[in-house]
Amino acid sequence: MASKTEFEVPAQYEDLTPAPNVDQKTLNRMALRSCWLQSSFNYETMQSGGWLFAMIPGLEKVHTNKKDLAASMYHNLDFINTHPFLVTFVMGIVLALEQNKVDTQTIRAVRISAASPLGGIGDALFWLTLVPITAGITSNMAIDGNLAAPIIFLLIFNVCQFALRFGLMNWSYRVGTAAIDALTANMQAFTRAASILGVFVVGALTVTMGTTQINLTIPNGTTRGLSAQTIVVSNEEAENFADLAIDTETADAGAMGVTDMDGNPLTAADADGNAVETGIVDLGNGMSSVTYGTVTESPVSYSVASTLDSVLPKLVPLAMVMLLYFLFAKKNFTPIKGIILLLIIGIVGALPLGEWFPFMSWYTGLW
Amino acid sequence: MDVNIVQIVLVFIVTFIAAIDQFDFLESLYQPIVTGAVIGAILGDLNTGLVVGGTYQLMTIGNMPIGGAQPPNAVIGGIMAAVFACTLDNVDPNAAVALAIPFAMLGQYGVTLFFTVRAPLLEFFRGCAENADTKGITKWTIISEIILGCIFAVIVTMFFVAGQAVGQQVVDAIPEWLNTGLSAAGNMMKFVGFAILLKIMMNRDMWGFFFMGFGLALIASNTPAISGPALLILTLIGFGIAFWDFQQQTELKGAVSDGGDFSDGI
Repeated sequence: MASKTEFEVPAQYEDLTPAPNVDQKTLNRMALRSCWLQSSFNYETMQSGGWLFAMIPGLEKVHTNKKDLAASMYHNLDFINTHPFLVTFVMGIVLALEQNKVDTQTIRAVRISAASPLGGIGDALFWLTLVPITAGITSNMAIDGNLAAPIIFLLIFNVCQFALRFGLMNWSYRVGTAAIDALTANMQAFTRAASILGVFVVGALTVTMGTTQINLTIPNGTTRGLSAQTIVVSNEEAENFADLAIDTETADAGAMGVTDMDGNPLTAADADGNAVETGIVDLGNGMSSVTYGTVTESPVSYSVASTLDSVLPKLVPLAMVMLLYFLFAKKNFTPIKGIILLLIIGIVGALPLGEWFPFMSWYTGLW
Repeated sequence: MDVNIVQIVLVFIVTFIAAIDQFDFLESLYQPIVTGAVIGAILGDLNTGLVVGGTYQLMTIGNMPIGGAQPPNAVIGGIMAAVFACTLDNVDPNAAVALAIPFAMLGQYGVTLFFTVRAPLLEFFRGCAENADTKGITKWTIISEIILGCIFAVIVTMFFVAGQAVGQQVVDAIPEWLNTGLSAAGNMMKFVGFAILLKIMMNRDMWGFFFMGFGLALIASNTPAISGPALLILTLIGFGIAFWDFQQQTELKGAVSDGGDFSDGI
């Protein structure tokens, strides 16, 4: 646009008489319009178009001189990037300055310096505190199929959002520039406190929402046992059992016995797992109760999950969060890279190596 | 599953609204927990929509438009995950979320590109400002939003119509283990969100608070009576700690400035 001369914003407005206070209706309109702050967001001036759109009701009220209104509108298209939910705080201050016909230079400086730090505080309040907590609670409700979840989420979020928008609009306009001091005085402590709550909640979320577990079981040989069975037979038949001896160390699985090789009774486990002695008991009515043992051989497997849980439950989620934190904070990983890494971990962990390689037939995948 | 014209139009409208809402208006309608349920209702499977919306939402926690950064686009991702879960057979919510990731990343690049090419639009705003044309600002604000909404709605509707025929074939071709892997990965995605939150908030002296939250949550979630509202209880505890810290910090500061009234507040 070389052919067009750049519009020059005068250092001072033509009409320097302070305008009377704007009415509540105008402030409300500005607060409502602030919802469209990012309507023309772009990488050049970020939120400037939406900012001007939101400021217009107030600017129209305080600048009755049309040239002043043009100048004001033009410099309100300066680069601005602030938090969408806290923007009314800046709007109130800037409106107070505009109303008092302060030098345009001052307004521009105050606007950018009041707007910029709000990004962090708003992120701490909304994206890092309110949304994780409400979305965390309601997501779990949604996963359980509870239709109230999205409604509760919207309700909490928007009540907070609009309370802040309207509250800050009125408050900062009244207090004017003094409000900058009021908030920035404790800004650091506030940000710190919000961060403490934030990391605390993320620690808790790691437990309540981290369900990743290594469900791998590794076969670890077999264990031998004796299972006890009791039958009632006639005394004559019971004789046949009397010298049924086995060597429990070497006998094949399925072998039966009443005594060991030295003729001593065996100790076997009944169906409930209680230890019982084998032997023959004469019931006195021509029948005998014979308790014998059968050698069993059952596979033993080593469960990775139960071992990890005995160290610390939710160890896998904790380790993954900390690994990702390390990659993001120290290795300049982008979120996309983190997501790709997890996709790779997920897929590699699920590879059916057990089917592909005979020597890994025990492997059933990590998940 | 067959889709009819009404469903296509509704998906278009929902995406149009969500695309605008992700930056303006209520800035909450676009969240997957909401769009999941809405898309589920449109496609006749409200419950699946709810579940997949909740699943996707968990992943996006913290993965939000912080400091002007663009995360994988939650509008496209959330809607596509719900579409996949509701229209494709044999896709559980976790796998649907994983399948939607490429679309969300595509959306992210699209948004970045769009924010770059939208800059010239500012010239129209400046033109209106020079003439104190307040109506003109409103007009261009609306035009700007409609362009954004239409771009998203057209793309998602295209994916929706063309994608599901193709999508089912793709899903049928996916072996069991890949499905398990995608599902496991989808389940892990929330850790990315957690880690980003930590990166932004964490100072070296704050790890203790993180582990305190972790430890107390282990206790609370393993106590049957309070495992349901565990997160709320934990937040109350965390709030107490944070509030106490805030008081400590400000009292300390107050004490210092009391002693330095006449030295420029130092």
